Amino acid sequence: MLKIDNKADIYTYRVLFFILCSLMIVLIGRYYYLQVVEYDRHFSKSQINRVKAVTTYASRGLIFDRNGELLVDNYPTYVLTVTPYKLDDKEKSFKELSSILNTKPDELDRRYKKYYRGRMLPTIIAKNLSFKQISEIEERKLEFNAFEYLPFNERIYPSSFSHSHIIGYLKEVDRDTIPSLDKSLLYRAGELIGWQGVEKQYERGLRYSKGVSYLEVDTYGREVFELEDGKIVALPGDDLYLSIDSRLQQFTKDLLEGQKGSVIMSHVNTGEILAMVSSPSYNLDIYRGTTSEEEWNNILTNSDKPLLNRSTGGLYPPGSPFKLITAFNLLENNFISESDSVMCSGSKEYGGIARGCWREDGHGLTDLKKAIAESCNIYFYEKVQLVSLEDWVSTAKIFGFNQATNIDLPAEKIGLIPDKDFFTTQYGRWGWSERGVLLNLTLGQGDLLITPIQSLRFINHIATRGQDTPKLRLNLNSQLTYYDSIQYSDRTWDYIENALFEAVNSNLGTARRALSTNQNIPFFAKTGTAQNPHGEPHAWFIGFFEFEGEKYSIVTIVENGGGGATVASPIAGDVVSYFINNNTYIANK
Amino acid sequence: MNQSNVYIGLTSEDLRLRLHILTVFLIIFGLTALYSISDNPLSIESSFMRQSIFMIFSFIIYLLVRRIHLKVIHDNSTIIFLFTIGLCFIPFFLPKVEYTYRWIDLGFMTIQPSEYLKIGVIIVIAKYLSNHQLEMKTKSIIVIPGLLTLFASIVVLQQPDLGTAVIVCAPLIPMLLWAGVNAFVLFLVIAPIITIVAASNSILFSVWAVIMFLCFLVARPGVISGFILYFANIFAGLLTPFAWNILTDYQKQRVLTFLNPDLDPMGSAYHIIQSVTAIGSGGFFGKGFQQGSQTQLKFLPVQESDFILSVIAEEFGFLGIVVVMAVFFLFIKTLLDIAFRCSDYFSSIVIVGLASIFLSHLFVNSAMTVGLIPVKGLPLPFVSAGGSFLLSCFIMLGLITNLSENS
Repeated sequence: MLKIDNKADIYTYRVLFFILCSLMIVLIGRYYYLQVVEYDRHFSKSQINRVKAVTTYASRGLIFDRNGELLVDNYPTYVLTVTPYKLDDKEKSFKELSSILNTKPDELDRRYKKYYRGRMLPTIIAKNLSFKQISEIEERKLEFNAFEYLPFNERIYPSSFSHSHIIGYLKEVDRDTIPSLDKSLLYRAGELIGWQGVEKQYERGLRYSKGVSYLEVDTYGREVFELEDGKIVALPGDDLYLSIDSRLQQFTKDLLEGQKGSVIMSHVNTGEILAMVSSPSYNLDIYRGTTSEEEWNNILTNSDKPLLNRSTGGLYPPGSPFKLITAFNLLENNFISESDSVMCSGSKEYGGIARGCWREDGHGLTDLKKAIAESCNIYFYEKVQLVSLEDWVSTAKIFGFNQATNIDLPAEKIGLIPDKDFFTTQYGRWGWSERGVLLNLTLGQGDLLITPIQSLRFINHIATRGQDTPKLRLNLNSQLTYYDSIQYSDRTWDYIENALFEAVNSNLGTARRALSTNQNIPFFAKTGTAQNPHGEPHAWFIGFFEFEGEKYSIVTIVENGGGGATVASPIAGDVVSYFINNNTYIANK
Repeated sequence: MNQSNVYIGLTSEDLRLRLHILTVFLIIFGLTALYSISDNPLSIESSFMRQSIFMIFSFIIYLLVRRIHLKVIHDNSTIIFLFTIGLCFIPFFLPKVEYTYRWIDLGFMTIQPSEYLKIGVIIVIAKYLSNHQLEMKTKSIIVIPGLLTLFASIVVLQQPDLGTAVIVCAPLIPMLLWAGVNAFVLFLVIAPIITIVAASNSILFSVWAVIMFLCFLVARPGVISGFILYFANIFAGLLTPFAWNILTDYQKQRVLTFLNPDLDPMGSAYHIIQSVTAIGSGGFFGKGFQQGSQTQLKFLPVQESDFILSVIAEEFGFLGIVVVMAVFFLFIKTLLDIAFRCSDYFSSIVIVGLASIFLSHLFVNSAMTVGLIPVKGLPLPFVSAGGSFLLSCFIMLGLITNLSENS
């Protein structure tokens, strides 16, 4: 077809055929030599001595608080493994084992399927074996020849309730999760991985590096001899020091007992979190594999959501502290002079609808400072008319709302600062008006959603006057980094600072209850009472204070707690006074 | 032409049928071994299932390759070559995969472009050699195919991939022979290389000396030049041990490790020891399906690809190996028959080239598993797990079928 005929001749064909035959003879000859002539030698070698690579483990890094107090420790337990190919009658074995282990055969079977790694590889099917259980299994070793108990490090938590959300828990890696994990850390089914909190955040550092030992084993898998060549030693994970002060944390946790909400306190100068409590919390021990299904369902279906870390994942309307966003706008754009006042008589009509102040008899003649200190609504209804929605939204975003604070915890929520696009998609082109929504936004109501940790960042920006605000962090040894600075005039910062000072220190200031026990420190704060559709309003308190030349900040929210002035302020005040009275151990870092 | 018809009684249709039946056997051997070593063969991540899926994908590509018109392949051979060599350069611009520049990661599978370069080289050389204006008796005809092969081989060597670089060179000599280049000339080119390699072992060297002598007898190059050439080779071999002493200790160590793996039980020789033990302990009848203790306990590394033969040898014994080898032998012989039976010269040369690829893969892979040559990551055609290589095998099969059908 391509014009050229095949010119190959029979001699070339024979040469190539000869080469093929000789190569085949060489190969077959070699196989014959190995498999027939030397069979005995190789067979006995395969039976008696063979080198097997065995994975070795080290312990996971420990977690301490800022004073070196141990928060998370390891303790050795025994787990029961089964090697599938040795299992002759699975059902019978599981049934007999379940009576020793006080569990159901189904449960063993479920774990068997979940953590199955391979026919020849041991699968963990039970944990936390007691000494009694181990000895019973040992007595019937011949019957249970497919089963083996092995040492296994578990986490133990000396003070778990108060730290649970920060620390988070470990989870067993199973067949379904492995494909989604970081391959470089070499997870295998049954191993533990940090799944929440700093255990997840710092997984890479906390996790041990696995080692390899080469063992000569006999055909029954018995280890005969360990080879030193090529051995890789398993190294324990790095310890983690948290910025948390665990006594302050515990005190705060107790203070919130019975209430839903969050309290976070930070050292403004370094961004270190000293306490971060989310209430209600849960006992970390529930993750140690001994929790019954029923208990689990209780936790999961609990309407108070104990597993949620409200500090970083709880979304709330911000309430009155957001009046400061309008205030910053007014001051920075010179929309008002310092003596501008508004007459508050308790209510006023906007667009045909009467809107009231929380104080029904009115604040009287009110300037911005008084409006912040006493949280007057009418003043802000009136003055927000000068501000555009676009400016207002961008101011809120400058302070970090609607973005992550990048605190070193997983699953942080970013909340919502509604802008023009949002309203148009939500309510339609003609379904809203800029003036109308601003009346809500200026009070921190409407479609706004923020997290407590974002409020903390907000108050830290104010405390540092927008300059060099350290990023919030829990890892005591992490690098100090800063949020973008906010360039406002000194006049603006001075004015706001004064107003926040008044809110705490004047007789009518809404945050005055925070001061009762802290008379000697400069304290600046703003309270909030955020209306919400779920019942009583949420009580907010955000503030900062100076102590021994350093600045500290605190955010408190009590869900459906009522007024910020009456509920949140005293809690914040108590935490601060505990901090001041017990400062000796806090100051040692 | 007449000669070939007389020599091979089968029609080319029969030969193609035979080739495909043999291929099916090879695939069955491979899947059986993979099923045996997979812990959980029916899960999507097991090498058995992955191989089965790649098999379907590769088969579709095979059907497509079969449909390309022979003339298209012939006329675009240079473009095919440039395309495949271009592919080989892509990994250099990508992040390293497993510390080398061999792979292109497509997400669902990784492609090893050098697998396809082998085919590209063969096609372009076949086109050159099938040009009717060439005069086969001139010795300079070796030059262009030689340089092309050398270039391709060097590119692959840079990835670095010594195994594939060797394979790229393998088809050159058979193709030149097939095209009518004087066999003795080719023999003189490669004889010194074999001499030096063989010099490491006195038995091997003696065997080689005899083979070489027989070759000289058959070729009858003339008494004086024959004597000179023969003894030049022998002397080169005898001098090799002295040259050996010039090597540094480190270099010697590497060669020695290869020759005597027991010197380095944990290094790369670990693979050879484990493989040889697995094979040897299989005995005549083997330990049985899924009963190989060496393979099942994962003593054998990369058993699903490079050491698949050790799995077969351990579980099915010498008997199993003889069957596998027999199928491979018939497979390659059938390829030679098809090439011989082909009426079109270009097609014929391409098929001989592809047959050499299959043969060299078979030889290098098996010789490695039995410890005859150092560990080279080369898979066994149609048997080893690995999507990229399986695909290239199916493309080669498609090409062979295509060429034989159309000519």
